[in-house]
Amino acid sequence: MSTPVGRSVGESWRALRTPLLVTGFIVLAAIVVLIATSARTSGQFSPDSTESTGARALAALLEDHNVDVHGTESLNDAVRTGSGSALLIGPGGSLDDGDWRRIAQAQWSHVILIRPGSRALAALAPGVRPTGNSLATRSRQPGCELPAAVKAGTVTVNGPTYSAPEGATTCYGDGINNTVVRLEVGDRLVDVIGTPGSFMNARLAEDGNAALALNLLGTHRDLTWYLPQWESDYPDSNGESSAQLIPPDVRYIAWALAFAVLVVAIWRGRRLGPVVAERLPVIVHAAETTEGRARLYRRSRARDRAASALRESALGQLHEAHGIPRRADPSAVVATVAARTGRDPAMLYELLYGLPPLTDAALMSLSQELDVLTQEVRHP
Amino acid sequence: MVLTGRAGILAAAGVVFVALVMPSWAGVGVVVAAVLVVCLVDILLAGSPRRLQFSREGDNAVRLGEQAVVNLLITNPGRRVRGLLRDAWPPSAGVLDPPHKLDLPSGERRRLTTHLVPTRRGDRHAFRVTVRSIGPLGFAGRQGSHQVAWTVRALPPFKSRKHLPSRLARLRELDGRTALLVRGQGTEFDSLRDYVPGDDVRSIDWRATARRGNVVLRTWRPERDRQVVIVIDSGRLSAGRVGDAPRLDHAMDAALLLAALATRAGDRVSLLACDSAVRADVRRPAPQDVLPSFVNALANVEAELVQTDFRIVVSQVLERLGQRSLVVLLTGLDPAVIEESLLPVIGPLLRRHVVLLASVADPRLTELEATRGDLLDVYGAASAARTRLDRDRLTATLTRAGATVVDETPDHIAPALADTYLALKKAGRL
Repeated sequence: MSTPVGRSVGESWRALRTPLLVTGFIVLAAIVVLIATSARTSGQFSPDSTESTGARALAALLEDHNVDVHGTESLNDAVRTGSGSALLIGPGGSLDDGDWRRIAQAQWSHVILIRPGSRALAALAPGVRPTGNSLATRSRQPGCELPAAVKAGTVTVNGPTYSAPEGATTCYGDGINNTVVRLEVGDRLVDVIGTPGSFMNARLAEDGNAALALNLLGTHRDLTWYLPQWESDYPDSNGESSAQLIPPDVRYIAWALAFAVLVVAIWRGRRLGPVVAERLPVIVHAAETTEGRARLYRRSRARDRAASALRESALGQLHEAHGIPRRADPSAVVATVAARTGRDPAMLYELLYGLPPLTDAALMSLSQELDVLTQEVRHP
Repeated sequence: MVLTGRAGILAAAGVVFVALVMPSWAGVGVVVAAVLVVCLVDILLAGSPRRLQFSREGDNAVRLGEQAVVNLLITNPGRRVRGLLRDAWPPSAGVLDPPHKLDLPSGERRRLTTHLVPTRRGDRHAFRVTVRSIGPLGFAGRQGSHQVAWTVRALPPFKSRKHLPSRLARLRELDGRTALLVRGQGTEFDSLRDYVPGDDVRSIDWRATARRGNVVLRTWRPERDRQVVIVIDSGRLSAGRVGDAPRLDHAMDAALLLAALATRAGDRVSLLACDSAVRADVRRPAPQDVLPSFVNALANVEAELVQTDFRIVVSQVLERLGQRSLVVLLTGLDPAVIEESLLPVIGPLLRRHVVLLASVADPRLTELEATRGDLLDVYGAASAARTRLDRDRLTATLTRAGATVVDETPDHIAPALADTYLALKKAGRL
């Protein structure tokens, strides 16, 4: 007679097993994919990006010339001891002075700064300063003695320029504003390059761009390609986070309160069986079409149609009340009604057979007069 | 699994405990563990709602607006079950009772009563019986549902049966008990009696007069055992709401009064409800079965929002009628629809049978036509007047074609249809 609805514990487990397995597999797969792709970098000047602003082409060229390129977005990779290898620091991101100092202390043999900011220059290339001027896109001669630049020849250059201290080699500029600056800091070689556009996928093939890039970057067998990120999760200047300002007791009370709220929510939220759904009939009033037509009449100001309907209706009642034949002549109708009601025949003719009213007010008065006339007929 | 207010109070007391006695992680752990253990013990000790056994007994059908009583028998083979029971039905089944309190010791049986006042016609199926069994401590419990099948059919209310006695009295007047002097097409010879001054001289039987030597009169009575087919249009014309119910419901009411009357008059009544397909079909039930079979067949008919195919109506009616019969078509007088789909196909019906077309008029139209307040009222009056003129024109067309038209407001449609039937019978047109 009765059958239980819902599932027992065993049935629930059997029913949930497959979905749980599938969900677990999907989560696992997502984790694996995340780990597998976490080494990859993305964005502007990334060695893995094939977009026009990426530098995949340059990275591939370097690989062809036996340079191992390690793309990374992690600061830890940039501050490890890098003796005997080169570090390229891409444009963008935001590091504070401490981070830059840590990079500077990390004994890299060769550091290439792509469009660096003033903090990076202060830490890694003392004496080099941004001039604030930019060069328009143009092919330029090296104009310096740097072998890497001389061999590469003309290069398409644009972007910010830098001024160099004494003893630095400056190329691709006018002597004060330069886009490539090489200097030696201690036993470390530092290149400051203001024109990343020349080495991106879009323009690497123009002029001697590729040759210059290979000459500048291919100095060591190991090249760490670091793209700085936004590293800003640092405690306040006091060294205290806001969580430590709350007394510990309040925290325990809050947890106990949260548990109590959960219990009350489960108590109040459980329904005594589901809501019963039901198909309901459509409710449309039969007079809906007539009312709709009235609104249409008004919107299109169909005074002529409204008046003719009212007149026809009134005439029907007059015919019935006075026993006038249906097909009677208008003049005969007017004469009969005039005789019975004592109205002026001309006015009556105008009322029953006249022209359509031209204004809403005329329609209103027509309707009133017809109403009075039919009332008189009904209750003489 | 369910929790009760006591579990909530216990958890709230836990907050006070943590604040005053043990403000530490250990305190929070003690509170959580205490609540969980108490609730778990209670759930384990609660009687199982799944093991309860249910059965039902009670009313299967009820007239719309009246109360049905359905009993639920619950047997408990397991541990004592205490808590709440909800007998869930769809909203329009109109359950009057709040959830029942249940206290069912092991091995016992209880009867709970659910009172229903359906708010709509048609079958109402019981949805579920949900039992919430609270453990002996009163902190938590289990909940489970059972499907206990039962159907209550809400039958058409037949409100117009109050008009039946007066119409039956008029029927007796023109039935054999009061002989007629009018001879019509559908009247049969009843008896001969002596002439009384004032009788219609056209009814004198001259042959019998010659034999008997005094003037003798023939009397007639209305023919019996005629076929009446009531066709209810369940298409979109019947879906419109007039007053507080769709046209369809008013049509059903009128059909039931006519069926009751015609059965008492000795006619055989059939019923057909049809839109784009046949929805209800009752063919010549035995006289005592007419009303029960009709209300049962009509209980589940709802107005469909489709155009009625009158070709089906005509072919169905022609198929089941041999002799000249009365065909009553309950529909809406919508000029566009009737002229387009009924008039082209109604010819064969009109030639062979007497066709009576009944429609429920909307009193709102009269009200609209009489209201003359602001400009919208005037346009409304004009629109209502146009609708009425169109209906009048359609009525005239149908009457010219040979049909009889009854167009009345919901309150009057049933008696008006019965009166028209009696008038047709009296005139001997059946």
